[in-house]
Amino acid sequence: MKKPLYGLTALFDTPDALMQAVDETVKAGYTRYDVHAPYPLHGLARAMRLKPSPLGYFALVFGLLGAVSAVGLMTWITLVDYPLVIGGKPFWSWPAFVPVAFEITVLLASVLTVVSMIVIYFKFPNISHPLHDTPFMKRVSSDGFGICIEAADPLFEEARVRGMLTSLGGKDVGPVYFDVEDLNHGQKVFDLKFVGLLAGVGLLVSIITYLGLNVMLYMKPFNWMMEQEKLKPQAASALFSNGIGMRPPVEGTVARGFLPYPYKGRPEDAGRYLVNPLPVTKPVLDLGREKYLTFCSPCHGNFGRGDSRLAGQFPNPPTLHSDKVRDWPDGSIYHVMTDGQNVMPSYAAQVSRDERWAIVHYIRVLQRAHHAKESDLQ
Amino acid sequence: MSTGLVDYTREEPVVAGRPTASEIDAAISAPLDQFPTRIWWIGFGITSTMLAIGVLCVGITLWSGVGTWGINQPVAWGFDIVNFVFWVGIGHAGTLISAILFLLRQRWRNGIARFAEAMTIFAVMCAAIFPLLHTGRQWLPLYLMPYPNQHGLWVNFTSPLLWDVFAVSTYLTVSAVFWYLGLVPDLATLRDRTTHPVKKLIYSVFSLGWRHSGRHWHHFERAYLILAGFATPLVLSVHTIVSFDFAVSVIPGWHTTIFPPYFVAGAVFSGFAMVQNSLIVVRQMFKLKHLITLDTLEKMNKVMIVTGSMVGYAYAMEYFIAWYSGSQFELFVFINRALGPYAWAYWTMVACNVIFPQLFWFKKVRRSIPLMFGIGVLVNVGMWFERFVIVVTSLSRDFLPSSWGHYVPSPVDVGILVGSLGLFFTLILVFVRVLPVISLAEIKSVLPGAQPERHEHN
Amino acid sequence: MSTDTQTLPYTSKTLSPQVDRIGLILLGIGVVLVIAAYIFEPVRASFDASILYLFMVSLAVGAIFLIALEYITGAVWSVPIRRVTEFLAGLSPFLILLVIPLFLNLHDVFHWTHEEAVSADPVLQAKTPYLNVSFLFIRTAVFLGIWILFSMLFIRNSTSQDVTREASLTRKNVRLAAIFLPLFAISITFTAVDWGMSLDPHWFSTIYGVYYFSGTVLAAVSAVTLIVVLLHEGGFLPGLRRDHFYSLGALMFAFVNFWAYIAFSQFMLIWYANLPEETFWFMARWENGWQFVSVLLIIAKFGVPYFALLSQESKMNTKRLKIMAVWLLVAHLLDLYWLVMPTHSTGATLSWVELGFPVVGVGMILLLLSWKSKRYNLVPIGDPKLQRGMDFHL
Repeated sequence: MKKPLYGLTALFDTPDALMQAVDETVKAGYTRYDVHAPYPLHGLARAMRLKPSPLGYFALVFGLLGAVSAVGLMTWITLVDYPLVIGGKPFWSWPAFVPVAFEITVLLASVLTVVSMIVIYFKFPNISHPLHDTPFMKRVSSDGFGICIEAADPLFEEARVRGMLTSLGGKDVGPVYFDVEDLNHGQKVFDLKFVGLLAGVGLLVSIITYLGLNVMLYMKPFNWMMEQEKLKPQAASALFSNGIGMRPPVEGTVARGFLPYPYKGRPEDAGRYLVNPLPVTKPVLDLGREKYLTFCSPCHGNFGRGDSRLAGQFPNPPTLHSDKVRDWPDGSIYHVMTDGQNVMPSYAAQVSRDERWAIVHYIRVLQRAHHAKESDLQ
Repeated sequence: MSTGLVDYTREEPVVAGRPTASEIDAAISAPLDQFPTRIWWIGFGITSTMLAIGVLCVGITLWSGVGTWGINQPVAWGFDIVNFVFWVGIGHAGTLISAILFLLRQRWRNGIARFAEAMTIFAVMCAAIFPLLHTGRQWLPLYLMPYPNQHGLWVNFTSPLLWDVFAVSTYLTVSAVFWYLGLVPDLATLRDRTTHPVKKLIYSVFSLGWRHSGRHWHHFERAYLILAGFATPLVLSVHTIVSFDFAVSVIPGWHTTIFPPYFVAGAVFSGFAMVQNSLIVVRQMFKLKHLITLDTLEKMNKVMIVTGSMVGYAYAMEYFIAWYSGSQFELFVFINRALGPYAWAYWTMVACNVIFPQLFWFKKVRRSIPLMFGIGVLVNVGMWFERFVIVVTSLSRDFLPSSWGHYVPSPVDVGILVGSLGLFFTLILVFVRVLPVISLAEIKSVLPGAQPERHEHN
Repeated sequence: MSTDTQTLPYTSKTLSPQVDRIGLILLGIGVVLVIAAYIFEPVRASFDASILYLFMVSLAVGAIFLIALEYITGAVWSVPIRRVTEFLAGLSPFLILLVIPLFLNLHDVFHWTHEEAVSADPVLQAKTPYLNVSFLFIRTAVFLGIWILFSMLFIRNSTSQDVTREASLTRKNVRLAAIFLPLFAISITFTAVDWGMSLDPHWFSTIYGVYYFSGTVLAAVSAVTLIVVLLHEGGFLPGLRRDHFYSLGALMFAFVNFWAYIAFSQFMLIWYANLPEETFWFMARWENGWQFVSVLLIIAKFGVPYFALLSQESKMNTKRLKIMAVWLLVAHLLDLYWLVMPTHSTGATLSWVELGFPVVGVGMILLLLSWKSKRYNLVPIGDPKLQRGMDFHL
């Protein structure tokens, strides 16, 4: 089958000869042609009347996209999704965002511009071309300067073009033909081989990721932080005879902050030696009232009269306004709360030391209120 | 060529003699077509051994943890960070040469840009090892990236250590893209030269079907300019962000506002020394002295004087302000650097960074290959020690004397450093056999007679 | 290569007499306003005088820097316009006139001159070896001496080259440039420290000198650009092309970015560490109305110029360059105002007192340019690189 003609090529000795030839070609009205040189020539784009390359605008758009998305992501993360106070700085610390935003801007602008150029102008992945593997291409790749005028140009006429190129000093004026395979393929956007390659790469990356993250991470030594030899709660252990990892505390263990109560079982000494360490201030009294109402009022009543709903039943909670209690020193009241008395248990586990002293102050308030004197009003 | 006085009326030629484009193709492709020489194998043997030591030490670190290093309290950052900053710094020369000198239209960069950019990529690869290793659980690097995960956690965007992650990965990516873009026309040339079927397939794929079309060159040049325009602030930002690792802290000797430009200048300084020394070896080995001329090397020395002086300026400013500030902690740091337990490192640094490079003021030194090479080595040593002095002295003795401690690197530390040097030079040795060390297209474009005589007028 | 060779009979030209007239008027009005300022508000006037000194140093010494830079890098594109830069550098001797009023009233401006306060404060006591009037005087005198000496040497070699056409004069200037640059670094840094940073003697920042340097170069480039564009439009520099203007625009753009980078570094590090001994300086510039000036400064010196000079086309557009040059000069003045004035007034206010000083500055420059252009050629016609400079293409 006769291969269809792609175009006529010609080589020139010097850059100046080439430029002259380009001028003539443009003047003659050809539009489907191209110029080839092993390096960029000054003034060639102008001579070919090429429109300025829009890649600058691409870079601007991609760069802005990078800047906006980087700042947007960081803003969303630090203001909405997971605000954290870091270094005492405000959630949205714009000076800290500048470096990352800058890098992403440059990254997207540079890489995407080049990718766009390769896809749009070099027509990747449809990169094969009739001029490849021709003697013309060999020369032009090395030290030759050439023009190729395509047969598809409306003004193309083989003899006339040949004549023009020869008259301009063109050497090796010759035809270039389409490859049959290229013709059959046509200009498909997604070539099967290329898509296949992409799919293969995707599959390979997936396999590697899976093996890495789901298999390798669970192997030694990568799993050493996940599989630790320490005993976790509820775990079994062969170290102990009953096989239980969790052990009771050793004899004599005390709770944190524990201090032994020196007057256990000795109410007179408690009354004699203990002094209320807390000042009589509003916060202390508020605390005392709160704790009294929580722990004491179910038995002793809201105002210490012993008139809770337990009144009259066994055990009968006593009033706190009896002379006996009113005459007691603070330490005795504290001792009753700490050590218990008769049926009343020790409240030391539920009410802390400070809270008990606060309750003592509050009880004094109640007692004074119940036996108010004229002088109290002044 | 330029042994006499400069002729100001003439453009300085980039290449010596008048080689033709095909001679250039032959000269630069020669290493790719031939079997490596014995010298290459000896070099490769040495660097691979160094690399193997490094791999072993990295393996020890992965298995037993960073406790095998010399770091302790208070010096929790040692060789790991010093090496990281060192390698990132070396990478900066490449981008400066390929991007900044391109923007400044300095044509002498054309013979060295390809090699320098490759060095950048390799240096950044070496650098990236260290932050990865020092995290402790090196197999979970994804934790450094902000992606939605089942913990519901995000990375800390206010931390300069995270900014490093973005900066270094962006730098690696953009440098690689920039380097690859410049490679495309050369790969096409190699594709059209080679007869070996496997090589031809590889070159065909990676040259993206490039056919040296003027229409494509038009877009290519614009893309190259855009990348150079972005790579310039990028390279400045990367070492700035690295300097932020230290400067955002409150430690005396670290918290000082001049760190960003000082680090960048230092990076370019050390990078140029490394590039220059590597080029001296390459141009000798591959007989490319007419393409990587002595004039070019001399210009690199001048860049080193400038950046070395900037580093010296920063040292002086730090001292002045340490005194001026009236802060006894700040002043102590600088006295400690000069007179304390690491004084030997400090004075090595001063001698190598401030004193020896001043020899480059003399033309004889600038045009002597052995002297240039020696000073280059000293500069690299000095710059490594600069990072060592900054990191270790400020950490070992900061505010409270009761918290002071001493740092001694462990053999594993040293092994990893040796390994990183091995990796770097191994990659370079492989690179020079696989890809053209000089950009064919760029060097051809600055040959005498390469461009058309006619110019556009306003 | 030389199809568009321009033979350049750039003999000395008189700029339009308007320039002299406007210069004299502005200088006159300015001086009157300044005197009035000193009479009615001497303290504020002293601060304004500091700002003017720092501004004019930026222009004059920045210009010397640009000259030295051209020689040391061997640049060719700037050769046709170097004479303009040399004229601007010729401001240097007149800096003496601007610094004298500062020395006449150090007390109102500099806290460290208050002996009682200093002796009560051990931190300030420790700084007295540096912060004392005699040493300040010596430093200022030495720096002025260096600037005047080098500007004169550069200009003398360049202007005699117009006549003798000797290439050795270029070599001499290259050597001078190599010596000048380190001296420039030191003098600019300590000028900034002395007249800027020491206003708040408790505060310190190692990057302050670099900050002032970045603004200085930006101001000098803007001034040169403005003058070059105006001269070009007036037909005095006909050989310049888009390529030359692009280079100027690119320099402006680069230093806008550099300034922003240094400013942000200084701010971010102090913000992050949050040490009260450092943050108070920025806090003073974020309260009582100063926050608006701070934001305005960022927008004016970075936000607007960045986008205005981003595209390639904008850098070649002489109208855009002219506007941005004026814009950036005003922004630099704003920057210096932001650096200096908060020490004087806690609240950010603009007063009539400010007016006279920049007017004096502009008047001085106009008169200087007019005078110089009568004596010297507008282009360094003897420079061996001139032809390459005129033929320069991107």
